[in-house]
Amino acid sequence: MRRREFIRTAGAGGAAALVAGCLGGGTDASGGSTAESTGTAADGTTTGTAVGSTIPSELVVATYSAFVDAPSSSPGPWLKEQYESEFDATLTWETPENELNYFIERQLGGAGIDADVYVGLDTNMLIRIDERLSEPLFAPVADGALSRRDDVKSSLEFDPQGRAVPYDTGYISLVWNENETTAPETFDGLLEPEHAGELLVQNPTSSATGKAFLLHTIAAKGEDGYLDYWQRLRENDVRVLGSWEDSYNAYSNGEAPMVVSYSTDQVFANQSGEPMSEHQIRFLNDQGYANPEGMARFAASEKEGLVDEFMDFVLTPEVQAEIAVRNVQFPATTTAELPEEFAQYAHEPPEAVTFTYDELKGSLSEWTDAWARAFASK
Amino acid sequence: MARRLDIGRLVLPAAAVVTGVVLLVVFYYPVATVFVESVVVDGRLTVGPVSEILTSDFYLVDIIGFTAYQAFLSTVASVALGLPGAWVLARFEFPGRRTLRSVTILPFVLPSIMVAIGFVAMFGRRGTLNGVLGAVGLGPVELLFTLEAVVVAHAFYNAPLVTRVVTAAWESVDARTVETARSLGASPTRAFRDVVVPQLLPAVAVGATLTFVFTFASFPIVLALGGFQLATVEVWIFKLVSDLEYAEAAALATVETGISLGLTYAYLRYESQTSGQGEGANPLARQSLVPETASVKTLASRLSVLVYGLVVVVVFVGPIASMLLASVSNAEGFTLTHYRFLLERQATGAAFQVKPLPAIRNSLLFGVATVAVALPMGVVVSVLSARAGWKGRLVDTLAMGPLAVSGIVVGLGLLRGLVFGVDVFGREVVVTGTVAIVAAHAVAAYPFVTRNVSPLLARLNPRLVESARSLGASRARALWDVELPLVWAGVVAGAAFAFAISVGEFDSTVILASGSGSYTMPVAVERYLGRRLGPATAMGSILLVVTAASFVVIDRFGGRWEL
Repeated sequence: MRRREFIRTAGAGGAAALVAGCLGGGTDASGGSTAESTGTAADGTTTGTAVGSTIPSELVVATYSAFVDAPSSSPGPWLKEQYESEFDATLTWETPENELNYFIERQLGGAGIDADVYVGLDTNMLIRIDERLSEPLFAPVADGALSRRDDVKSSLEFDPQGRAVPYDTGYISLVWNENETTAPETFDGLLEPEHAGELLVQNPTSSATGKAFLLHTIAAKGEDGYLDYWQRLRENDVRVLGSWEDSYNAYSNGEAPMVVSYSTDQVFANQSGEPMSEHQIRFLNDQGYANPEGMARFAASEKEGLVDEFMDFVLTPEVQAEIAVRNVQFPATTTAELPEEFAQYAHEPPEAVTFTYDELKGSLSEWTDAWARAFASK
Repeated sequence: MARRLDIGRLVLPAAAVVTGVVLLVVFYYPVATVFVESVVVDGRLTVGPVSEILTSDFYLVDIIGFTAYQAFLSTVASVALGLPGAWVLARFEFPGRRTLRSVTILPFVLPSIMVAIGFVAMFGRRGTLNGVLGAVGLGPVELLFTLEAVVVAHAFYNAPLVTRVVTAAWESVDARTVETARSLGASPTRAFRDVVVPQLLPAVAVGATLTFVFTFASFPIVLALGGFQLATVEVWIFKLVSDLEYAEAAALATVETGISLGLTYAYLRYESQTSGQGEGANPLARQSLVPETASVKTLASRLSVLVYGLVVVVVFVGPIASMLLASVSNAEGFTLTHYRFLLERQATGAAFQVKPLPAIRNSLLFGVATVAVALPMGVVVSVLSARAGWKGRLVDTLAMGPLAVSGIVVGLGLLRGLVFGVDVFGREVVVTGTVAIVAAHAVAAYPFVTRNVSPLLARLNPRLVESARSLGASRARALWDVELPLVWAGVVAGAAFAFAISVGEFDSTVILASGSGSYTMPVAVERYLGRRLGPATAMGSILLVVTAASFVVIDRFGGRWEL
């Protein structure tokens, strides 16, 4: 992306070219050698490739920043290294601050899109795209283009138009601290006075886990009952904070003994030697809300073949296992070879709940808006 | 001689034109692209979206009304907490006073997420405060996730601003005016009330107005320490923008901006009416904090300094110290793991990952460049709007726009107006990168320079400039030789603010950074947040140390030129 940016800005005018020049100077040329480097990657081939008889192809992959830059173990660096060791191509990460909205806004504003594939889509984002954009942002994967397409668990398929290919999934559940409380078994249990002020939730209008929890309450209480349920949650002092980080940090600091998070929380707790008693998982009503993440090719990308190769690569058993462990999510395929510890600490709900694309289309923003207005009323 | 004079005469107009162009490119044009959506729907001009908001009970009462209410409480708290600070800093001499004065601005640069973390560590259920209270047998207090927590956090941010602005004004009170009053028989209290207070009021009003405008536009603190049921205007604009409901978001932002600008205009009216008579060259002598004589009066004043010191420890030192502590501890106790993470990330991080050293370097670079650009911009605006009538106030109000417009709207405007490219005479122009970031920071920062300098400039005797002009000096020369030395305390305060704004700025940095090379310290703090707080608090501590050192340098360096 930097190279493209340079060419584009260089053509745009003096000041901008100067700027791009400044940027080019100070950056690191390391191809990403993490502690767990396999040694097969050819470090240093990622930059400075323009000088040569053949220009290797470049695949620009857009994603959310935690996928490449979280302090613990984000899959991004490993994925790039593996990909470049297997293919004669460079993988360039692009992590715009507004994530998918950045590309929606570019499309709305008639600006070009220079990324080839997006990693980190969910059903709600697809609906947002389809409601707001008249021209397609993503293109469907051609029939038979991926050799491993059938390895994906059919229960995780969330795009009826075949654009998004699931690569992992999380189940949203309660995480609770058994030293301070005992999480209730049901949604109604959360309304008990003994749980007053004990639950932290994320803002459904801006956070994926918050939205998943809201949708789960709609699944449990019905379209006519969920606002009333939330009114009672509010009376029981539930706290709706901004992001998953905000609420999880507050939970870690002992602000409340229950937080909405992922059912894979113990994988992380095990990795970092935290006491398991503070990472108990509860599936309310014996259900977990499934939120699969997918990848899709930008319709504007002309590198269909390269993108298909990349998607197939992400679906290989080894990559699936590694993404699951590093992103602390479940793999999307039936073929992933997971380490034993993962199976021990990653909990799958007895029953997975999720709204399909068709169920959400036309209702999602209505439900969320109604909730937001009710909850923000003073 | 004639030639030199000509150049001198061109300096101010040229600076004004440059200021206007920068404002237009990185502020008014981008913001206009967003506001247009509130009045143009499907290509037709309409008042629909705005009137929908103005006729909705939900918006008027639950969102706008509540936002004004919490901003009012926050302003009261900030002024109450900030004024005694100005008194201590301006009126007492003690070791470390200048350093303390330099770092009063520190809370201002802390990313809101660090403030939230510090507040949880300080005021939380398991926080330091409850630990101390428990040790002396007092019951635990539950402060978090309430309106009170939001108000205290807002005071944490804005009381230093009040302190800073009022201290600058207090230090430029002319001691001779007080002496004259005393020699005419006024008691010290009377002299304070009749001579000093009128000279401080504009500064207090600046602090209060800015605090109200800021806390009216509060967003991350409300979500992190209050929760969504306390949703403010800005929280709602963020929600609408995330949902891509641009027309409604723009309409709400229009109403918000109208309120903020109206308030700014009202304040400026007040400011122009209160021009005092001080000339600022003879500051009041400070008292020693350790009294030489033990009278009831001196003991009472020292006791109140002590009580105020305790409040400062709880509200300001507490959260910051708690955050520093979090950076060197984990569940097992003392550890340097989090700093080791920073070293490792620096040594082995991939090119596309955010590393600590470039973040520090970029922050300092942008900060220094911002001061260099924002100081002339702010002073020019001050001079141009100094003694004009309502037209001058209107210009001044518009020049204060960067303070009054929602950060989310500015960010969106920058994205669509500059990052996506603008068609200029058939050529696609994209504005991103270092120059754009510095310009955006300068635009956000120069109002602080103006608001620190203007009240002091307005108090100068106009005859000073007139006599310099009659002796043949250009307007710029008179400004440089006569006015600026007299209002230097305000210029230095403005420079510190400009630096602080640049270092703490997040939104336009991430939006305008082209490629992955222009990230700053707050961006690094945000990136290092994960399931564990450690790495982010370590980066936050570095931000704190680097900026504290910078403020001391700015104040000391600025002080060397003090006349």
